[in-house]
Amino acid sequence: MSASAPLRQGTRLSAERVTFRFDGRDYTGQRGDSAASALWAAGVRLLNRSIKYRRPRAFLALGPEEPNALLTVGPDPACVPNVPAPQLLVAPGLELRSQNRWPSLRYDLAATLLGLGNSFWGAGFYYKTFMWPSWRTYEPLIRKLAGLGYAPGASTLPAVPVRHLVADVVIAGGGPAGLVAALGAARAGLSVVLLEREPVLGGELEFEAATIDGEPALAWVERTVTSLEGLGVVTLTSTALTTVGESLAIAHQQPAGMPGNDTLYRVHAPLFVNAMGAVERSIAFVDNDRPGVMLVGAAERLLARYGVAPGRAVVLFGNHDRLYAAARRLREARVPVLAIIDTRTVAESPLRPLLMADGVECLLGHTVTAALGSPELRAVTVAAIDAPTRTRRIPADALLVSGGWSPYVYAGLQSGGRPDYRAELAAFTAEDQPEWRLACGAAAGHTDLGAVIASAQAAGQQLAGRARHTGADFAATPIVLGADAPPALQPYFRSPADAADEKRQFVDLQNDVTVADLRQALAEGFIDIEHVKRYTTLGVGTEQGRTGGTLGAAVVAELRGLPPAEVGLSRSRGPFQPVPMQALIGHRTATELRPARRTALHELHAAAGGELELMGGWLRPRYYTANGASAAAACIVEAGRVRSSGGICDASTLGKIEIRGADAAAFIDRVYLGRPSSIAVGRSRYAVLLREDGMVLDDGLLLRVAADHFLATTSSSHLAHVLAHLEFHRDTAGAGRRVALTDVTEAWSVIVVAGPTSRTVLNEVLGGSGAAAVNRLSHMDVIDTTWGGFRVRVLRASFSGELAYEVHCQPAAAPLLWTRLAGSGLLPFGLEALDVLRVEKGYLTTSEITGQTTPQDLRMDRLVAAAPDSIGVALLGRPGLSDPERPILVGLHATDPAARFYGGAQLTETADSVHSIGYVTSSVYSPTLGRWVGLALVARRLAGNGTALVARDPIRDGDTAVSIVPAAHVDPRNERMKG
Amino acid sequence: MSSFGCPFCGPRPLEEFSFHKTLPNVPGGAFEEVYLRSDDPTDSHEHWQHRYGCRAWLYVRRNPSTGRILEVRQLTGSAP
Repeated sequence: MSASAPLRQGTRLSAERVTFRFDGRDYTGQRGDSAASALWAAGVRLLNRSIKYRRPRAFLALGPEEPNALLTVGPDPACVPNVPAPQLLVAPGLELRSQNRWPSLRYDLAATLLGLGNSFWGAGFYYKTFMWPSWRTYEPLIRKLAGLGYAPGASTLPAVPVRHLVADVVIAGGGPAGLVAALGAARAGLSVVLLEREPVLGGELEFEAATIDGEPALAWVERTVTSLEGLGVVTLTSTALTTVGESLAIAHQQPAGMPGNDTLYRVHAPLFVNAMGAVERSIAFVDNDRPGVMLVGAAERLLARYGVAPGRAVVLFGNHDRLYAAARRLREARVPVLAIIDTRTVAESPLRPLLMADGVECLLGHTVTAALGSPELRAVTVAAIDAPTRTRRIPADALLVSGGWSPYVYAGLQSGGRPDYRAELAAFTAEDQPEWRLACGAAAGHTDLGAVIASAQAAGQQLAGRARHTGADFAATPIVLGADAPPALQPYFRSPADAADEKRQFVDLQNDVTVADLRQALAEGFIDIEHVKRYTTLGVGTEQGRTGGTLGAAVVAELRGLPPAEVGLSRSRGPFQPVPMQALIGHRTATELRPARRTALHELHAAAGGELELMGGWLRPRYYTANGASAAAACIVEAGRVRSSGGICDASTLGKIEIRGADAAAFIDRVYLGRPSSIAVGRSRYAVLLREDGMVLDDGLLLRVAADHFLATTSSSHLAHVLAHLEFHRDTAGAGRRVALTDVTEAWSVIVVAGPTSRTVLNEVLGGSGAAAVNRLSHMDVIDTTWGGFRVRVLRASFSGELAYEVHCQPAAAPLLWTRLAGSGLLPFGLEALDVLRVEKGYLTTSEITGQTTPQDLRMDRLVAAAPDSIGVALLGRPGLSDPERPILVGLHATDPAARFYGGAQLTETADSVHSIGYVTSSVYSPTLGRWVGLALVARRLAGNGTALVARDPIRDGDTAVSIVPAAHVDPRNERMKG
Repeated sequence: MSSFGCPFCGPRPLEEFSFHKTLPNVPGGAFEEVYLRSDDPTDSHEHWQHRYGCRAWLYVRRNPSTGRILEVRQLTGSAP
C-alpha cells in the first residue's frame, strides 16, 4: 500500500499510517496491522524461504502457529530471529528481514545452484550422504545453509520481569469458551486468571457473525469483558500459555508480537482450563506450499481484522460446510470467489445454492491436485476424486484450503493425557485428564458456537464444584443465533498423486516434511509416530505440530493402512508457543546468574591489587598484581616467598560444618574413613569421605573441639554436597541420630599463615596468652583462644608443606588481623600460589577428587583398612577397581628440566601411540625445584617410579616426555611442616 | 506438580526441594542400594530433601506419569 492508497477498515486497524522496512524497502501500513497483513496488502507475495529446500513461502495460518512467515526484526547484531509475522505489529521505523535466503529473497543461491529446489533431499539424507571422509568435512557448509533464521550476535533486550499470580483457576484462551468459563467460575466466587494470546478478546467472533443473547457477537464480548472486570478476573492479553503443570501455569506476555517489552507470568492455581480453541490444518496436494495457498481461517482473519483481500481470484478447497460460510463473507466484502472445491459427495449447506446462483462454481467429490505458478500461485489443477488423472486448470491467485480443525490438545497430552481420534473432527481430542485440568469449547472438540458456549458453561460449573464452592450464582447459558452451521466434515487429508510427486506434497511446512519423507521413514522401520517425528522432524521447531501434526499422523495412518486412532498423535512438550530464552532467564544473567559470595577480607584483596575471580561461588584472589603482571609470573614470586619466609592466604571459603551431639563420634566413624572418633580433644586429622558407590566425595580436616563436638572442613565447592550427604546419612541412620549438623562456613573467617616465619609473626601479632598457646601447638593441634576480645581458633596444619597455621576468627576480626599480619611482613598470596605449593607437595584437590576416583586410586588404602564399615567401603572390593588398567595417582615431572606440560594432557606409553593410559590432573612450574612438576592418574601397571611416558597435548604445546616420580615433589619426609 | 507438602513447612514451591534418588526395587546390600534403583512409571518411591527450606530429608511416593504426589513424610531411619 502506498501512502496515497485508500485506508482499509478492519477490527484491528486505526487510521494512522505507519511506515516500516522489509528487506531494505519501505512499506506503509496502518497502526494495528501485522507485518503479514501490511505486506500482503502491499502486494508482497514472497515473505520467506523454507528451512531445507529454500522453497518460496508466504504465510499459511496467520496466527501464532504460523509455520512459514517468520521474520528477523531489527538490525544486526542485536536482531531477533523467528518472529511470526502474523503476530508482529508494524511500528514506525521497524526493520524486518526475510530468512533462509542468500543473497536475496527472490534469488536464493542455494535453491538455484545446489538444486535443492528440484532434487529433494529426503529424510535422513544428511546422515547417509555426508559420511565420507567424515560428516565434519561438510558440516560447516551445511550449517551455513541450515537453521531457522540466524542467531543474533548480541542482545540488547532488557531483562524480562517475572510476575507471580495466585488464583483458584487459570483459563487459557479468551475466545467465547474462555469468556463463558471465566464468567461461570468468577460468579461462583473463584478467583480467575484469563490468558489470551491475541491483543483482543473474543477469538473467532471477530469474524463469525452471530447473535448472542440478542446482541451482535462483538457487543456481547464487550459486555462480558466488563462483567469479568467487575468480578475481579485478571485478564492478560497478548499472553500465550508457555507450559502448564499441576498448580502452576507459566505464560509469556509479548505486546506487539516481538521481544522487547515482555513479562513472564507464573500463575499458581490448582485448576486449569484449556479453552485454547482449535488449529485449522491444510490438505496435502502437490506444491501446497506456494505463496497464495493459505488456510480459510487465515483469509477470514486477513479480511476481518485488516481489511485485506486474500487475492483477486479466489478458490476455496476443503471437506466441510464452513467453506460456504467463508465464501459468502468473502463475497460480501467484494472478494472475487471463482470456485469451491468440496471433497465430499454431498453438501447440504443452504448457502451452496445461493453461491451457485451468484456464479460461483461449486464442485462436489473433487479435489485440488496441484498448485501451479512460481514463486507465487497462478492457478490450481482440479480433478474428480474418482478420476484424478483427468485434471482441469482453474486460474487463482489465492487458494483457501481447510482440512478441518485440530483441537488444541497439546497441554492435554501431558501428565497422563491420551489422544483420542474423533472421526467427526478427523482429529484428536485429549482424554484421561487429571482432575485439575479441564478443556472446553473447540479445544474439547466442539465445532459450532452454540455447543462451544454450552461446554464452557458446563466447565464453569465443574470448576465451582471442584473448588467446592457452594451457592454458585450461575446465569443461564447464553443463547446463540445465526452462527455458522456445524461443519459436517468428512475426513480428507491428501489428494491422489504419483509416487514421484509425493515429495512435493507438504505435510509440515516449517520443517519441509513431505508425504515422501513419511513413506521413507516407514520403509526404514520408523513406525511409531514418535519415531517418525524424530526421523523426519515432523512437528519440531516453533510450529510444534500445530498445523502439521494431525495431518502427518493421518498420512502415516493412510500409508500404514490403519485407522488414525491406532497411529495416535505425537506429544509435544511445553513451551507450546516459542518463548525467548531471555524471558525464562529473567534477571538471572551475567553477575546475577549466581550470587558471588565475598569473604570478610574482600575489600583488602581488592585494595592490594588482588586479581579476583569467581571460583566455587566465591570471589577469590588468584594472585596480587604487585607480584607480577600475569598469574604465571606472580604465583612464582608468591609461592617462592612462602617457602623462603612466609605469607598469608584467605581460606575463609573453606566449607565448615559443625557436628555436635551425643552420637557425633559414632556418626563420623560411619561417614568418614579412618575411625576419626579416635581423634583426641584439641587435635585434628586429615579425613576423607566416600559416596555410597565408593568414590571419594571430598577431603578435609576434622577438628575435635569437645568430646561431642567436631568441626569438619570441606572443599569450598563441595560444601553443599557434603552437607546434604551428611544430613541424609544422619536422617537415614537406624540409630545414632542424635547429631546436629550446622553449616558455619560464614561464621568463621580463616587466614592461613604459612612459612618458616609463621610462628614468630603469629606470636608477635597475637601476643599474650594467644602467643603462649600457639607456641605450644604441635602439628595438627587445635586451640581456642581470644584476640582483642574476639574468639579465635588456631589450628596448626599445612596445605603448603611449610610450618603453617589456620587462624579461624570471627569475620569482624578478620580484616584487622589480616592487616596486622601483613604489616608484620607476611605478604598475601593467592590461589595460584596455593596451587603451586600443594602440587609441589602432592596434595589433592578437585582435579584429583573427580568423583571417579576411589580411595585406593588416591593411595589412601590405610584409611580404608581402618574403617571397614564406613559408607562406600562395601563397594570398594569390586574387581574392576583394582584392574591393572585402572588409573592410580602418581607424581610426574618433565624429563627435560626445561620442558613443560599441562593439566589435561593425555598420557601414552610412546610418542606414536594414540592409546591413552592416563592423564595429567595438575601441573605447575615449581619455583622450588626449577622445573615443571605435576600429578597424574596412570594405569596401575605403569605406575612405578621412573616409568617414562609421553604427555600428549596436540592443541597446546604438543608432546612432552615425562617421568613418574613420588607425588611429594618437595620435602617428602615433611621435615619443614613438622619442624 | 509444582509444590510439595513438606511435613514441617507446609506447601512450598518445587524449587525449594531437590530430588536425590529412587529407592532400590530389590532389597539387598550396598550394590542393590546404589545400582538397582526402581523405575516405576506410576508408583515411584523416592528420596528428596527440602534443601532450600528446613533441610529435612523426605520419603516421597509419586506417580511420575501424572506428577501426582501420593505421600510425603520425614525420613525416620526405619525403611524406607
